[in-house]
Amino acid sequence: MSAKPDEELITEVLGGDTDAFTELAGRHRPRVERLCRRFFSDEEMARDIAQESFIRAYTALATYRAEMPFGGWLRAIVVNLCYDELRRRRRRPEELVGDFSAPEVQWMQTANVASPEDLVGEAEERREAYDLAHRLLDTLKPEDRMVMVLKESEDLSVSEIAETLGWSEAKVKIRAFRARQALRKQAERMLAAGRNR
Amino acid sequence: MNCFEARQEFSALWRKTLASDRRTDLLAHLKECEKCDHAFRVFALTAPVLHGDVERQAPRASRPARREFSLADRPRRFASVSREVSRPNRWMSMAAAAAIFVFATSAAYLSTRAPSESLAEALSAPESSMTSETAGDPLAPEMPSTESDLAS
Repeated sequence: MSAKPDEELITEVLGGDTDAFTELAGRHRPRVERLCRRFFSDEEMARDIAQESFIRAYTALATYRAEMPFGGWLRAIVVNLCYDELRRRRRRPEELVGDFSAPEVQWMQTANVASPEDLVGEAEERREAYDLAHRLLDTLKPEDRMVMVLKESEDLSVSEIAETLGWSEAKVKIRAFRARQALRKQAERMLAAGRNR
Repeated sequence: MNCFEARQEFSALWRKTLASDRRTDLLAHLKECEKCDHAFRVFALTAPVLHGDVERQAPRASRPARREFSLADRPRRFASVSREVSRPNRWMSMAAAAAIFVFATSAAYLSTRAPSESLAEALSAPESSMTSETAGDPLAPEMPSTESDLAS
């Protein structure tokens, strides 16, 4: 039996069938949780935001218009929740905190010397590579981080990001440029720290 | 492969979606080009989050079994959101209760101060009764007692 399309499930939900939403949520949950994990290293936080996104989507489902895919509409909800949470935290350190753990230092040293192939393989196996990447991204302003994740991870175009965030395309481009500059600067420092230890 | 093309392929190399011939070209370029090699190392520091398999990095212990959506399963950290939403209703009910209280106390006060005599009786009351009520009051205006007093 072929799976029902999203639009059909939405019609059923609006008709009062909550089980149809369970199916819809199950279908989109992996992608939503993956997106949340790109914003938050804290697993619990990522899962909570994913769950809250589905609750908000459920309560606002009557406002959904079929002109855009449900996945894109849901992503806008997720992204806005993540943005609110990033802003709520007000964690905008300009500099990286220097207290690296021994495994993190080891990973920074590896990043300096390993071959590109080995880097790819090692990063997958090492939790500290993931944690350090989050620490680097935490140094960005929330707006810059939104753009980086949507552009690099979700492969969205500038116009798609602008539509998702409700910004102008010029603002997205400026934010992307600044985010890359800031990230490169911090990453250079991290690499230098790995060389000097 | 030139530097621009090489840097366009970093993400695909990390995600292991690069065709084998392109991959060979890219790795050869990285070996030759010091700048691109350095750029790849910078890229590698954020790639685990931006381009990697983030599900793989979730600690096994906290990985949830496939959960089904439930409206009752609202995260505690967002519970305040629903409270905020219902805050105007709470103020409305408090205002209504205050209004009822003010109305009830006003009604009670007025009922105890209601005149025992009718309006007609009050108008037809003799002047003496009016003066007797204010006799002991030094601040009460003096009542005219004769027609000459009234004229003056």
